[in-house]
Amino acid sequence: MATERTIRRFSGALAVAGIGVAAYIAIAESGGGAPACLAGGGGCETVAQSVYSDLGGINVALIGIAGYVALLGAAIVRGDAARFGGLMLALVGVGFSAYLTFLELFVIDAICQWCVASAVLMTALFALNAIRAFRFAGEELRSEDDGGVEPALIDPA
Amino acid sequence: MAEGQREERKAKLRESRQREEAAARASERRQRMLKLGAAAVFGAIVVVAAFILISQSGSDSGGGNASDIRDAGLVNGQLNGISQDGLTLGDPEAKTTVIEFGDLQCPICKEYSEAVIPKLISGPVRQGKARLEFRNYLIIGPQSVDAGAAAIAAGEQGRGWNFIELFYRNQGVENSGYADDAFLESVAGAAGVRDIAEWNSARRSPAVRREMKRTSSQAVGFGFDGTPSFLVRGPHGTRKLGTPGLSVAPFEAAISQVG
Repeated sequence: MATERTIRRFSGALAVAGIGVAAYIAIAESGGGAPACLAGGGGCETVAQSVYSDLGGINVALIGIAGYVALLGAAIVRGDAARFGGLMLALVGVGFSAYLTFLELFVIDAICQWCVASAVLMTALFALNAIRAFRFAGEELRSEDDGGVEPALIDPA
Repeated sequence: MAEGQREERKAKLRESRQREEAAARASERRQRMLKLGAAAVFGAIVVVAAFILISQSGSDSGGGNASDIRDAGLVNGQLNGISQDGLTLGDPEAKTTVIEFGDLQCPICKEYSEAVIPKLISGPVRQGKARLEFRNYLIIGPQSVDAGAAAIAAGEQGRGWNFIELFYRNQGVENSGYADDAFLESVAGAAGVRDIAEWNSARRSPAVRREMKRTSSQAVGFGFDGTPSFLVRGPHGTRKLGTPGLSVAPFEAAISQVG
Protein backbone atom coordinates (compact mmCIF):
# COMPACT_ATOMS: atom_id res chain seq x y z
CA MET A 1 0.00 0.00 0.00
CA ALA A 2 1.31 3.44 -0.96
CA THR A 3 2.47 5.62 1.89
CA GLU A 4 1.43 9.25 2.21
CA ARG A 5 4.96 10.27 1.33
CA THR A 6 4.74 8.38 -1.99
CA ILE A 7 1.40 10.02 -2.80
CA ARG A 8 2.80 13.46 -1.97
CA ARG A 9 5.80 12.82 -4.23
CA PHE A 10 3.57 11.75 -7.14
CA SER A 11 1.31 14.78 -6.57
CA GLY A 12 4.32 17.07 -6.56
CA ALA A 13 5.62 15.58 -9.81
CA LEU A 14 2.21 15.93 -11.50
CA ALA A 15 1.87 19.52 -10.26
CA VAL A 16 5.30 20.35 -11.73
CA ALA A 17 4.21 18.78 -15.06
CA GLY A 18 1.01 20.88 -14.88
CA ILE A 19 3.02 24.04 -14.29
CA GLY A 20 5.04 23.16 -17.40
CA VAL A 21 1.97 22.63 -19.59
CA ALA A 22 0.16 25.77 -18.35
CA ALA A 23 3.34 27.87 -18.65
CA TYR A 24 3.82 26.71 -22.26
CA ILE A 25 0.21 27.67 -23.12
CA ALA A 26 0.56 31.05 -21.37
CA ILE A 27 3.86 31.85 -23.14
CA ALA A 28 2.50 30.77 -26.54
CA GLU A 29 -0.61 32.93 -26.09
CA SER A 30 1.20 35.94 -24.62
CA GLY A 31 1.97 37.56 -27.99
CA GLY A 32 -1.49 36.91 -29.41
CA GLY A 33 -0.37 33.51 -30.73
CA ALA A 34 -1.40 29.99 -29.82
CA PRO A 35 0.27 26.78 -28.66
CA ALA A 36 1.33 24.41 -31.43
CA CYS A 37 -1.12 21.52 -31.80
CA LEU A 38 1.19 18.51 -32.30
CA ALA A 39 -1.64 16.54 -33.91
CA GLY A 40 -2.43 19.44 -36.29
CA GLY A 41 -5.95 20.64 -37.09
CA GLY A 42 -5.72 24.15 -35.67
CA GLY A 43 -7.76 23.33 -32.56
CA CYS A 44 -5.26 25.02 -30.26
CA GLU A 45 -5.43 28.24 -32.29
CA THR A 46 -9.22 28.24 -32.24
CA VAL A 47 -9.34 27.70 -28.49
CA ALA A 48 -6.64 30.32 -27.86
CA GLN A 49 -8.52 32.89 -29.96
CA SER A 50 -11.81 32.11 -28.24
CA VAL A 51 -13.36 34.59 -25.81
CA TYR A 52 -13.24 31.80 -23.23
CA SER A 53 -9.43 31.83 -23.10
CA ASP A 54 -9.68 34.71 -20.61
CA LEU A 55 -11.42 34.73 -17.26
CA GLY A 56 -12.23 38.24 -16.04
CA GLY A 57 -9.41 39.60 -18.18
CA ILE A 58 -6.85 37.05 -16.93
CA ASN A 59 -5.55 34.35 -19.26
CA VAL A 60 -6.91 30.96 -18.17
CA ALA A 61 -3.42 29.43 -18.49
CA LEU A 62 -2.10 31.89 -15.88
CA ILE A 63 -4.90 30.81 -13.52
CA GLY A 64 -3.82 27.22 -14.25
CA ILE A 65 -0.22 28.00 -13.28
CA ALA A 66 -1.44 29.49 -9.99
CA GLY A 67 -3.55 26.39 -9.34
CA TYR A 68 -0.69 23.94 -10.03
CA VAL A 69 1.71 25.99 -7.87
CA ALA A 70 -0.82 25.86 -5.00
CA LEU A 71 -1.19 22.08 -5.52
CA LEU A 72 2.60 21.71 -5.42
CA GLY A 73 2.57 23.64 -2.13
CA ALA A 74 -0.13 21.33 -0.76
CA ALA A 75 1.97 18.30 -1.75
CA ILE A 76 5.01 19.67 0.08
CA VAL A 77 3.25 20.66 3.31
CA ARG A 78 2.19 18.06 5.90
CA GLY A 79 -0.98 17.89 7.97
CA ASP A 80 -4.74 17.95 7.51
CA ALA A 81 -4.84 21.55 6.28
CA ALA A 82 -2.60 20.60 3.34
CA ARG A 83 -4.49 17.33 2.76
CA PHE A 84 -7.90 18.97 2.51
CA GLY A 85 -6.58 22.20 0.98
CA GLY A 86 -5.04 20.05 -1.77
CA LEU A 87 -8.31 18.17 -2.17
CA MET A 88 -10.25 21.42 -2.54
CA LEU A 89 -7.76 22.84 -5.06
CA ALA A 90 -7.82 19.62 -7.09
CA LEU A 91 -11.64 19.60 -7.02
CA VAL A 92 -11.70 23.19 -8.29
CA GLY A 93 -9.21 22.19 -10.98
CA VAL A 94 -11.23 19.17 -12.07
CA GLY A 95 -14.51 21.13 -12.05
CA PHE A 96 -13.07 23.97 -14.09
CA SER A 97 -11.31 21.55 -16.48
CA ALA A 98 -14.64 19.78 -17.02
CA TYR A 99 -16.33 23.12 -17.79
CA LEU A 100 -13.56 24.10 -20.24
CA THR A 101 -13.71 20.69 -21.94
CA PHE A 102 -17.49 21.13 -22.30
CA LEU A 103 -16.89 24.52 -23.94
CA GLU A 104 -14.30 23.03 -26.31
CA LEU A 105 -16.63 20.22 -27.37
CA PHE A 106 -19.96 22.02 -27.61
CA VAL A 107 -19.36 25.78 -27.84
CA ILE A 108 -15.96 26.47 -29.39
CA ASP A 109 -16.15 23.30 -31.47
CA ALA A 110 -12.41 22.65 -31.29
CA ILE A 111 -10.09 20.63 -29.07
CA CYS A 112 -6.73 21.83 -27.83
CA GLN A 113 -4.52 18.87 -26.89
CA TRP A 114 -2.59 20.95 -24.34
CA CYS A 115 -5.87 21.69 -22.54
CA VAL A 116 -6.67 17.97 -22.64
CA ALA A 117 -3.22 17.20 -21.19
CA SER A 118 -3.87 19.66 -18.38
CA ALA A 119 -7.31 18.16 -17.72
CA VAL A 120 -5.77 14.65 -17.47
CA LEU A 121 -3.07 15.88 -15.06
CA MET A 122 -5.69 17.64 -12.94
CA THR A 123 -7.87 14.51 -12.81
CA ALA A 124 -4.89 12.43 -11.65
CA LEU A 125 -4.07 15.09 -9.05
CA PHE A 126 -7.65 14.96 -7.82
CA ALA A 127 -7.48 11.17 -7.43
CA LEU A 128 -4.20 11.37 -5.50
CA ASN A 129 -5.40 14.19 -3.26
CA ALA A 130 -8.67 12.39 -2.54
CA ILE A 131 -6.75 9.24 -1.50
CA ARG A 132 -4.38 11.31 0.60
CA ALA A 133 -7.16 13.21 2.34
CA PHE A 134 -9.45 10.31 3.15
CA ARG A 135 -6.85 7.64 3.88
CA PHE A 136 -4.38 9.72 5.83
CA ALA A 137 -6.56 12.41 7.45
CA GLY A 138 -5.90 12.74 11.17
CA GLU A 139 -2.77 10.58 10.81
CA GLU A 140 -1.23 12.52 13.67
CA LEU A 141 -4.15 11.54 15.93
CA ARG A 142 -3.97 7.91 14.84
CA SER A 143 -0.24 7.69 15.51
CA GLU A 144 -1.04 8.49 19.15
CA ASP A 145 -3.24 5.37 19.20
CA ASP A 146 -0.45 3.28 17.77
CA GLY A 147 2.49 4.45 19.80
CA GLY A 148 1.34 7.09 22.23
CA VAL A 149 1.29 6.50 25.95
CA GLU A 150 -0.05 8.54 28.77
CA PRO A 151 2.69 9.87 30.95
CA ALA A 152 0.54 9.42 34.08
CA LEU A 153 0.42 5.64 33.53
CA ILE A 154 4.12 5.10 33.07
CA ASP A 155 5.43 2.85 35.74
CA PRO A 156 8.62 4.43 37.14
CA ALA A 157 9.94 0.96 37.96
CA MET B 1 -1.71 -11.86 46.82
CA ALA B 2 -3.83 -8.77 47.46
CA GLU B 3 -1.02 -6.73 45.92
CA GLY B 4 -1.15 -8.95 42.80
CA GLN B 5 -4.91 -8.58 42.45
CA ARG B 6 -4.63 -4.84 42.81
CA GLU B 7 -2.00 -4.74 40.04
CA GLU B 8 -4.16 -6.92 37.79
CA ARG B 9 -7.21 -4.72 38.36
CA LYS B 10 -5.16 -1.62 37.72
CA ALA B 11 -3.87 -3.09 34.46
CA LYS B 12 -7.40 -3.95 33.34
CA LEU B 13 -8.64 -0.46 34.16
CA ARG B 14 -5.72 1.02 32.30
CA GLU B 15 -6.42 -1.15 29.26
CA SER B 16 -10.12 -0.29 29.31
CA ARG B 17 -9.36 3.42 29.60
CA GLN B 18 -6.88 3.24 26.72
CA ARG B 19 -9.49 1.48 24.57
CA GLU B 20 -12.10 4.13 25.34
CA GLU B 21 -9.67 6.91 24.59
CA ALA B 22 -8.60 5.25 21.32
CA ALA B 23 -12.27 4.92 20.33
CA ALA B 24 -12.85 8.57 21.20
CA ARG B 25 -9.85 9.62 19.13
CA ALA B 26 -11.01 7.50 16.19
CA SER B 27 -14.45 9.10 16.42
CA GLU B 28 -12.88 12.54 16.63
CA ARG B 29 -10.76 11.71 13.57
CA ARG B 30 -13.81 10.57 11.59
CA GLN B 31 -15.75 13.70 12.49
CA ARG B 32 -12.83 15.93 11.61
CA MET B 33 -12.38 14.13 8.28
CA LEU B 34 -16.07 14.56 7.46
CA LYS B 35 -16.03 18.25 8.39
CA LEU B 36 -12.88 18.99 6.41
CA GLY B 37 -14.08 16.91 3.45
CA ALA B 38 -17.43 18.70 3.38
CA ALA B 39 -15.69 22.08 3.66
CA ALA B 40 -13.35 21.19 0.77
CA VAL B 41 -16.23 20.04 -1.47
CA PHE B 42 -18.35 23.10 -0.60
CA GLY B 43 -15.43 25.47 -1.15
CA ALA B 44 -14.62 23.85 -4.49
CA ILE B 45 -18.23 24.10 -5.69
CA VAL B 46 -18.38 27.79 -4.75
CA VAL B 47 -15.08 28.58 -6.52
CA VAL B 48 -15.97 26.63 -9.69
CA ALA B 49 -19.42 28.27 -9.81
CA ALA B 50 -17.77 31.70 -9.48
CA PHE B 51 -15.32 30.84 -12.30
CA ILE B 52 -18.17 29.73 -14.57
CA LEU B 53 -20.22 32.87 -13.83
CA ILE B 54 -17.25 35.14 -14.58
CA SER B 55 -16.51 33.17 -17.75
CA GLN B 56 -20.11 33.36 -18.96
CA SER B 57 -20.50 37.05 -18.15
CA GLY B 58 -17.29 37.71 -20.09
CA SER B 59 -18.55 35.87 -23.14
CA ASP B 60 -22.17 37.00 -23.04
CA SER B 61 -21.80 40.70 -22.92
CA GLY B 62 -20.24 43.53 -21.13
CA GLY B 63 -20.67 45.46 -24.34
CA GLY B 64 -23.44 47.62 -25.64
CA ASN B 65 -22.12 50.65 -23.78
CA ALA B 66 -21.89 53.83 -25.89
CA SER B 67 -19.55 55.49 -23.40
CA ASP B 68 -17.16 52.52 -23.22
CA ILE B 69 -16.22 51.32 -26.71
CA ARG B 70 -13.48 48.73 -26.30
CA ASP B 71 -10.78 47.24 -28.53
CA ALA B 72 -10.65 50.10 -31.06
CA GLY B 73 -6.84 49.90 -31.06
CA LEU B 74 -6.92 46.14 -31.56
CA VAL B 75 -9.42 46.23 -34.42
CA ASN B 76 -7.94 49.23 -36.24
CA GLY B 77 -4.46 47.71 -35.90
CA GLN B 78 -5.73 44.42 -37.30
CA LEU B 79 -7.08 46.16 -40.41
CA ASN B 80 -4.33 48.73 -40.82
CA GLY B 81 -2.96 48.98 -44.35
CA ILE B 82 -5.56 46.70 -45.96
CA SER B 83 -7.65 48.28 -48.71
CA GLN B 84 -11.42 48.51 -48.26
CA ASP B 85 -14.16 49.08 -50.78
CA GLY B 86 -17.61 49.35 -49.26
CA LEU B 87 -17.92 46.25 -47.10
CA THR B 88 -15.19 44.38 -48.97
CA LEU B 89 -11.79 44.04 -47.36
CA GLY B 90 -8.58 43.12 -49.12
CA ASP B 91 -6.72 43.21 -52.40
CA PRO B 92 -9.13 43.86 -55.32
CA GLU B 93 -6.95 41.53 -57.39
CA ALA B 94 -7.37 38.58 -54.99
CA LYS B 95 -8.70 35.48 -56.76
CA THR B 96 -11.20 34.45 -54.11
CA THR B 97 -13.83 36.15 -51.97
CA VAL B 98 -15.07 34.92 -48.59
CA ILE B 99 -18.60 36.25 -48.15
CA GLU B 100 -20.14 36.48 -44.69
CA PHE B 101 -23.90 36.79 -44.44
CA GLY B 102 -24.18 38.22 -40.95
CA ASP B 103 -26.36 40.13 -38.55
CA LEU B 104 -24.45 42.56 -36.34
CA GLN B 105 -26.66 41.69 -33.36
CA CYS B 106 -25.90 37.97 -33.68
CA PRO B 107 -23.74 36.57 -30.83
CA ILE B 108 -22.44 33.65 -32.92
CA CYS B 109 -21.27 36.15 -35.55
CA LYS B 110 -19.36 37.85 -32.72
CA GLU B 111 -17.72 34.52 -31.90
CA TYR B 112 -16.60 34.16 -35.52
CA SER B 113 -15.48 37.77 -35.58
CA GLU B 114 -13.20 37.10 -32.63
CA ALA B 115 -12.07 33.53 -33.32
CA VAL B 116 -11.95 33.14 -37.11
CA ILE B 117 -11.99 36.50 -38.90
CA PRO B 118 -8.67 37.73 -37.37
CA LYS B 119 -7.00 34.56 -38.69
CA LEU B 120 -8.48 35.09 -42.14
CA ILE B 121 -7.34 38.71 -42.12
CA SER B 122 -3.79 37.97 -40.97
CA GLY B 123 -3.58 34.97 -43.34
CA PRO B 124 -5.29 34.81 -46.76
CA VAL B 125 -6.40 38.47 -46.84
CA ARG B 126 -3.00 39.96 -46.01
CA GLN B 127 -1.36 37.45 -48.35
CA GLY B 128 -3.58 38.71 -51.19
CA LYS B 129 -5.21 35.30 -51.68
CA ALA B 130 -8.73 36.30 -50.63
CA ARG B 131 -11.02 39.22 -49.96
CA LEU B 132 -13.59 39.35 -47.19
CA GLU B 133 -17.04 40.68 -47.94
CA PHE B 134 -19.77 41.35 -45.39
CA ARG B 135 -23.39 41.18 -46.51
CA ASN B 136 -26.23 41.99 -44.13
CA TYR B 137 -28.62 39.14 -43.45
CA LEU B 138 -31.16 40.78 -41.15
CA ILE B 139 -32.85 38.18 -39.02
CA ILE B 140 -32.76 39.30 -35.38
CA GLY B 141 -34.70 42.54 -35.04
CA PRO B 142 -35.18 46.22 -35.95
CA GLN B 143 -31.86 47.20 -34.40
CA SER B 144 -30.13 44.82 -36.81
CA VAL B 145 -31.42 47.10 -39.58
CA ASP B 146 -30.01 50.24 -37.93
CA ALA B 147 -26.68 48.53 -37.22
CA GLY B 148 -26.39 47.08 -40.73
CA ALA B 149 -27.19 50.47 -42.29
CA ALA B 150 -24.55 52.10 -40.10
CA ALA B 151 -21.96 49.56 -41.31
CA ILE B 152 -22.77 50.23 -44.99
CA ALA B 153 -22.54 53.99 -44.37
CA ALA B 154 -19.15 53.50 -42.67
CA GLY B 155 -18.10 51.47 -45.71
CA GLU B 156 -18.78 54.50 -47.90
CA GLN B 157 -15.98 56.24 -45.99
CA GLY B 158 -13.60 53.27 -46.22
CA ARG B 159 -14.16 52.18 -42.60
CA GLY B 160 -16.78 49.45 -43.09
CA TRP B 161 -14.76 46.55 -41.68
CA ASN B 162 -13.48 48.70 -38.79
CA PHE B 163 -17.11 49.40 -37.94
CA ILE B 164 -18.20 45.75 -38.28
CA GLU B 165 -15.37 44.31 -36.20
CA LEU B 166 -15.65 47.01 -33.55
CA PHE B 167 -19.42 46.56 -33.36
CA TYR B 168 -18.98 42.82 -32.76
CA ARG B 169 -16.33 43.44 -30.08
CA ASN B 170 -18.74 45.74 -28.26
CA GLN B 171 -21.95 43.88 -29.01
CA GLY B 172 -24.64 43.94 -26.32
CA VAL B 173 -27.58 41.64 -25.66
CA GLU B 174 -29.66 41.19 -28.80
CA ASN B 175 -32.79 43.34 -29.11
CA SER B 176 -32.10 44.95 -25.73
CA GLY B 177 -32.14 48.44 -27.25
CA TYR B 178 -28.42 49.07 -26.88
CA ALA B 179 -27.80 49.68 -30.60
CA ASP B 180 -29.28 53.19 -30.51
CA ASP B 181 -27.97 56.31 -32.24
CA ALA B 182 -25.55 57.12 -29.42
CA PHE B 183 -24.02 53.63 -29.51
CA LEU B 184 -23.78 53.53 -33.31
CA GLU B 185 -22.18 56.98 -33.35
CA SER B 186 -19.63 55.96 -30.71
CA VAL B 187 -18.70 52.84 -32.69
CA ALA B 188 -18.42 54.87 -35.91
CA GLY B 189 -16.18 57.44 -34.21
CA ALA B 190 -13.93 54.76 -32.72
CA ALA B 191 -13.83 52.95 -36.09
CA GLY B 192 -12.39 56.07 -37.70
CA VAL B 193 -15.40 57.35 -39.64
CA ARG B 194 -14.31 60.94 -40.29
CA ASP B 195 -17.49 62.69 -41.43
CA ILE B 196 -20.19 61.73 -38.93
CA ALA B 197 -22.77 64.08 -40.50
CA GLU B 198 -22.33 62.43 -43.89
CA TRP B 199 -22.37 58.99 -42.27
CA ASN B 200 -25.64 59.88 -40.47
CA SER B 201 -27.18 60.98 -43.72
CA ALA B 202 -26.00 57.88 -45.61
CA ARG B 203 -27.21 55.36 -43.03
CA ARG B 204 -30.74 56.79 -43.21
CA SER B 205 -30.94 56.74 -47.00
CA PRO B 206 -33.45 54.47 -48.77
CA ALA B 207 -30.64 53.11 -50.97
CA VAL B 208 -28.95 51.57 -47.93
CA ARG B 209 -32.21 49.94 -46.83
CA ARG B 210 -32.72 48.54 -50.31
CA GLU B 211 -29.18 47.14 -50.33
CA MET B 212 -29.82 45.27 -47.06
CA LYS B 213 -33.07 43.88 -48.37
CA ARG B 214 -31.23 42.67 -51.48
CA THR B 215 -28.42 40.91 -49.52
CA SER B 216 -30.91 39.34 -47.09
CA SER B 217 -32.83 37.90 -50.06
CA GLN B 218 -29.56 36.59 -51.50
CA ALA B 219 -28.86 34.70 -48.27
CA VAL B 220 -32.29 33.08 -48.42
CA GLY B 221 -31.63 32.25 -52.06
CA PHE B 222 -28.46 30.41 -51.10
CA GLY B 223 -30.52 28.36 -48.64
CA PHE B 224 -28.93 29.89 -45.54
CA ASP B 225 -31.28 29.88 -42.55
CA GLY B 226 -29.05 31.40 -39.88
CA THR B 227 -26.16 33.76 -39.23
CA PRO B 228 -23.35 33.78 -39.82
CA SER B 229 -23.38 31.86 -43.08
CA PHE B 230 -20.30 31.83 -45.26
CA LEU B 231 -19.53 31.04 -48.85
CA VAL B 232 -16.27 31.22 -50.77
CA ARG B 233 -16.16 32.21 -54.45
CA GLY B 234 -13.31 31.92 -56.90
CA PRO B 235 -12.43 31.15 -60.51
CA HIS B 236 -13.05 27.45 -59.87
CA GLY B 237 -16.51 27.78 -58.43
CA THR B 238 -18.38 28.52 -55.24
CA ARG B 239 -18.21 26.59 -51.96
CA LYS B 240 -21.06 27.06 -49.51
CA LEU B 241 -19.64 26.65 -46.00
CA GLY B 242 -22.69 27.73 -44.01
CA THR B 243 -21.63 27.90 -40.38
CA PRO B 244 -18.59 25.62 -40.34
CA GLY B 245 -17.39 25.87 -36.72
CA LEU B 246 -14.93 28.22 -35.07
CA SER B 247 -11.92 27.10 -37.06
CA VAL B 248 -10.11 28.76 -39.92
CA ALA B 249 -9.28 25.39 -41.54
CA PRO B 250 -12.50 24.97 -43.62
CA PHE B 251 -12.10 28.50 -44.98
CA GLU B 252 -8.49 27.91 -46.00
CA ALA B 253 -9.44 24.61 -47.64
CA ALA B 254 -12.28 26.27 -49.60
CA ILE B 255 -10.01 29.15 -50.67
CA SER B 256 -7.51 26.60 -52.03
CA GLN B 257 -10.23 24.65 -53.81
CA VAL B 258 -11.90 27.53 -55.65
CA GLY B 259 -8.86 29.80 -56.05
